Amino acid sequence: MDRWFAVARSEEVRQGHVFQSALFGQEMAVWRAQSGGVNAWENRCPHRGVRLSIGEQIGDELRCRYHGWRFATGTGQCTYMPAHPTQKPGAALCATVYRSSERYGYVWASLQPREDAPLLPLPEPGTTLRGVYVDAPAESVGERLLLGYGLDGERRLCVRRLDPYLLIGEPRSVRSTGDASADAMEAATSEAAAAPVLFLLQPLDSRATVIHACIAAAISAAERLAVLRAHNTRLLAIRAAVEQAP
Amino acid sequence: MITLYDYELSGNCYKVRLLLQLLGIPFERKEIDFHPGHEHQSSWFLALNPLGQLPVIDDAGWILRDAQAILVYLAGRYDRTQRWCPREDAAGLATIVAWLSFADALSGSAGRARLHDTLFFAADIEECRRAAHRAFRVLDEHLWFAEQEGGDWICRGAAPTIADIACFPSVMLSEEGGISRLPYPAIRRWTERVKRLEGFVTMPGIF
Repeated sequence: MDRWFAVARSEEVRQGHVFQSALFGQEMAVWRAQSGGVNAWENRCPHRGVRLSIGEQIGDELRCRYHGWRFATGTGQCTYMPAHPTQKPGAALCATVYRSSERYGYVWASLQPREDAPLLPLPEPGTTLRGVYVDAPAESVGERLLLGYGLDGERRLCVRRLDPYLLIGEPRSVRSTGDASADAMEAATSEAAAAPVLFLLQPLDSRATVIHACIAAAISAAERLAVLRAHNTRLLAIRAAVEQAP
Repeated sequence: MITLYDYELSGNCYKVRLLLQLLGIPFERKEIDFHPGHEHQSSWFLALNPLGQLPVIDDAGWILRDAQAILVYLAGRYDRTQRWCPREDAAGLATIVAWLSFADALSGSAGRARLHDTLFFAADIEECRRAAHRAFRVLDEHLWFAEQEGGDWICRGAAPTIADIACFPSVMLSEEGGISRLPYPAIRRWTERVKRLEGFVTMPGIF
């Protein structure tokens, strides 16, 4: 599919760790080189097929845990084989590299390495939320989100689809209840809950989806944790509803 | 000298070996033929532990069973820093105990699935895996929010505790029971922090 998908929160792709992800059943090893660039590779060493996500990032290379072969950031080219220290690895010895990019607080990948799909034109979000893993296809997750976002008793965001894997939740046009104090209280208590939320769906495979959600608003450091927890609760409610659906 | 009645492939025995070595406590191993010999069900072993479970320790003639209880004992008796199981405040200690219970339940879900897949034990395999995933979701969420507050470990504080040691083996061995850790990024980061502890040791399947 000629399209970019968020495959990890930037913050969770750290030096010294290989993030395990997947897209349409293709497992990925997502990792950050010392020089800062991110990589999204097929999660499989081209040598013996071991998962690269159990490997180690060393400088600008990823080292496979099995036989110590090293692969360079960017190209995926094998640079060193410990069993053949003097031999220059051939140009064909490469990790399978997916196109990747980093923006809006996420690492993005595309399964089509040669296609030049433009990155989605999103507003710069203020805060990325905890990604929630759902045991359901992306389509079901999207349909559930369309019913609205928020907990019972809250002002719920009205969700619409921008495309099959991207949804946006926005406050309904605010209508006065005619009670000024109730209006003021609602505005004050649900400010964080009412900020627009983007939902980026990452299909891990045909049965599982990650909801990456981000708030298109800046959140103060003091509020941050409470906002993260509140949205996590709402997203877990979405997950429970999708997974319990017949 | 402590004697550990041990089985190399047991996660519950491994967690005791791990803490012994993190604390630098000398011990000797008595290898029990758990599989295929079922030596843990033999009459001599049942005299040691009527529950027929590993591990068991013998510390100068004093016998203690139950992996979680052994961690509590070793930390209380031999950890001079008292950081592995701090006991000064009731809430902190109770939190550790809650996670020890969680770890014990993991042995019954993720651990049982692994015994089913690798040593052919009877189990409702699908229910074991479902229960393990339910527990992993709880642990991942807990660790993710701990990270947001700068916490690296299961319990609050700068240092790991026996709660981390108790939960670690069943988590790390889960894939041998068909339980993927891909949906649990915070768990995966935590396992790497455990593996970087000074004195960390491996077992087959954990490297």
